[in-house]
Amino acid sequence: MVALNHTMKNRAQLTGWLFIALAVILICIFYFYPMIQALLLSFKTGAGANLHFNGVDNYKRLFSDKTFFTAVKNTFIFLIIQVPIMILLAMIISVLLNDSNLKFKGFFRTAIFLPCITSLVAYSVVFKYLFGNDGLVNLALLKLHILAQPIQWISDPFWAKVTIIIAITWRWTGYNMIFYLSSLQNIDSSIYEAARLDGASSIRQFFSITVPLLKPIILFTSITSTIGTLQLFDEIVNITKGGPGNATLSISQYIYNLSFKYSPDFGYAATVSYSIVVMIIVLSVLQIKLAGENK
Amino acid sequence: MKKKLSAVLLSSLLLLSACSSNSGNATNTAKPTDQAATGTKEITVWAWDKNFNIAAMKLAQEAYAKDHPDVKINIVEYAQDDIIQKLNTGLNSGTTSGLPNVVLIEDYRAQSFLKAYPDSFQDLSSSIKASDFADYKIGATSLNGKQYGLPFDSGVTGLYVRTDYLQQAGYKVDDMKNIDWDKFIEIGKAVKAKTGKDMLTQDPNDLGLIRMMIQSAGSWYLKSDGSTPDLKDNAALKDAFQTYKTLMSANIVKITSDWNSFLAGFNSGAVATVPTGNWITPSVKAQADQSGKWAVVPFPKLKNTASSVNASNLGGSSWYVLNSPGKEVAADFLGKTLGSNVDLYQKMLTNIGVIGTYKPAASGEAYTKADDFFGGQKISSDFATWTTQIPKVNYGMHTYEIEDILKVGAQNYLKGTDLDKVLSDAQSQAESQIK
Repeated sequence: MVALNHTMKNRAQLTGWLFIALAVILICIFYFYPMIQALLLSFKTGAGANLHFNGVDNYKRLFSDKTFFTAVKNTFIFLIIQVPIMILLAMIISVLLNDSNLKFKGFFRTAIFLPCITSLVAYSVVFKYLFGNDGLVNLALLKLHILAQPIQWISDPFWAKVTIIIAITWRWTGYNMIFYLSSLQNIDSSIYEAARLDGASSIRQFFSITVPLLKPIILFTSITSTIGTLQLFDEIVNITKGGPGNATLSISQYIYNLSFKYSPDFGYAATVSYSIVVMIIVLSVLQIKLAGENK
Repeated sequence: MKKKLSAVLLSSLLLLSACSSNSGNATNTAKPTDQAATGTKEITVWAWDKNFNIAAMKLAQEAYAKDHPDVKINIVEYAQDDIIQKLNTGLNSGTTSGLPNVVLIEDYRAQSFLKAYPDSFQDLSSSIKASDFADYKIGATSLNGKQYGLPFDSGVTGLYVRTDYLQQAGYKVDDMKNIDWDKFIEIGKAVKAKTGKDMLTQDPNDLGLIRMMIQSAGSWYLKSDGSTPDLKDNAALKDAFQTYKTLMSANIVKITSDWNSFLAGFNSGAVATVPTGNWITPSVKAQADQSGKWAVVPFPKLKNTASSVNASNLGGSSWYVLNSPGKEVAADFLGKTLGSNVDLYQKMLTNIGVIGTYKPAASGEAYTKADDFFGGQKISSDFATWTTQIPKVNYGMHTYEIEDILKVGAQNYLKGTDLDKVLSDAQSQAESQIK
């Protein structure tokens, strides 16, 4: 009896394993194998196909590479300024859209979500023209007499960063808003009703009810946005090409440059890639710890 | 999210590494030359720019088809960046299937490909004669005495000038001929004062002007070995930077941020001159209502550098044959068309505006034709003359690495950092990056 039970259990287990086997094998081949190979590659050096091991030299080079540090600095400036602005904007917009008295709700929702289904390259190119020296934005500001001189949106180191931040905020706010909106709809309206009866203002309601109840979503969106910003590529390449100088160079673009723009150094490019992996892990752990999500 | 694309990028990098580790010399031995065996002769050509390189290749295809009806030539157009990526990933993976037989590579990048993928390119020494081509092209297209590339278009530079603006400012075209940059800036200020037009456009993110200036003095970012950075005590580079700063702060430059605003700069009549490669001619002529208002004069030289001449180069590329099945046919095709056919070059110039670097073709009829758009000037003949005067430099492997370092340096220098410090910082950064 015991033995029979045992074989049945084994068989059930085997069936279970068979079901997931295909997925596991595919993940191993297409995720884990390349990851390990890339780790090995990050210890090699040489141009193109002439690769040879050189120990930790690539990692030593990483820590004395000014361009890499500029790229990290730029990426973190984008991260620290853009992510909070976007998260806050997304939250405010979603609360406004969740108002039951609002008319044309569907229209507004679609309008704000639309940017995020546009192609990254297409919207970047449009932004490049909007913010060009003779672009629509400068033209409008000049004609309205807000500015006396056109702003060098793309060719000035400071304004180029601002342009990138405006562009990614436009593209991703709607995407994050959808998460907030869907979780807002799960909050029981009786909670707000009770708060109103107790005399809480809408601002008080927002900070004492909405924000705490949205905490898991805030955590989720800030982690995905952090990862997204660390991997920023399309916008930079298409709007500023990393310039002027390397004022808007991002880490991903640097990896691309090392592999394809310069004489190909795939070993060092893999080293830089692994630095992103480390940063993402550290930042995600930090965010989870800060949000106290360790039950 | 953004994650996706970078993930693709990253994983393609990873996959590529996975393949490269066990490739070794498989490239040369693994593939049987089945094409030669079966008798089907089909070759593929990759290039960018439909109106220039592709159009020229189509003319070559026509010329070859007359005598070789059995060879099928597929011409495929890709963006230059795509070609670079596909070549890098393909050559790294160790398999040549999916790669073309003939490919166009920019001269600035050629050495990097030839050195990074030894044995992947076919020596063309037996199909073409290197001495038939402009001297300055040989440095980029050959390695260790072997001629790998078929030198194609000349990137010879000229100074395109608006004669009507000059006249308004009290100058003649002759006043612009064989001048140095100081004189150029002086005239630029007069033009700005009299006409309100800027003298030229500049994209702060593109140091093409500096590259043209230093090549006019026979100098480059690297020493003649093609791998040692030559920034710190490079007198020509220093002179070029100083000239660049004077130019940028003279209030005669219209700032642009990309190719299209560069084109719009002269097409709209906003600037009086365009100092650039001759390949811009079709774009200048695209604005038909400016016909008769343009002239081309020799490129200005650096004032304080004795070796600087009134000729330089910007861009330009050459054709390469990959060491893969079909290489014999591909080499024969290039050798019998772009490597020797003088008539083909006349046709390319007349129909497309390609100024080749094949010396025997330069005396042909098409090169001596007057161009009404440029007030009857024989611009092709002028460009051909200047091509022979371009100082030969070795572009080496690292043009774009160093340019990216210098872009930052240029920004700092314009903001007031001492030039010697800028260049010595750039030197030490370049030395640590280039290995």
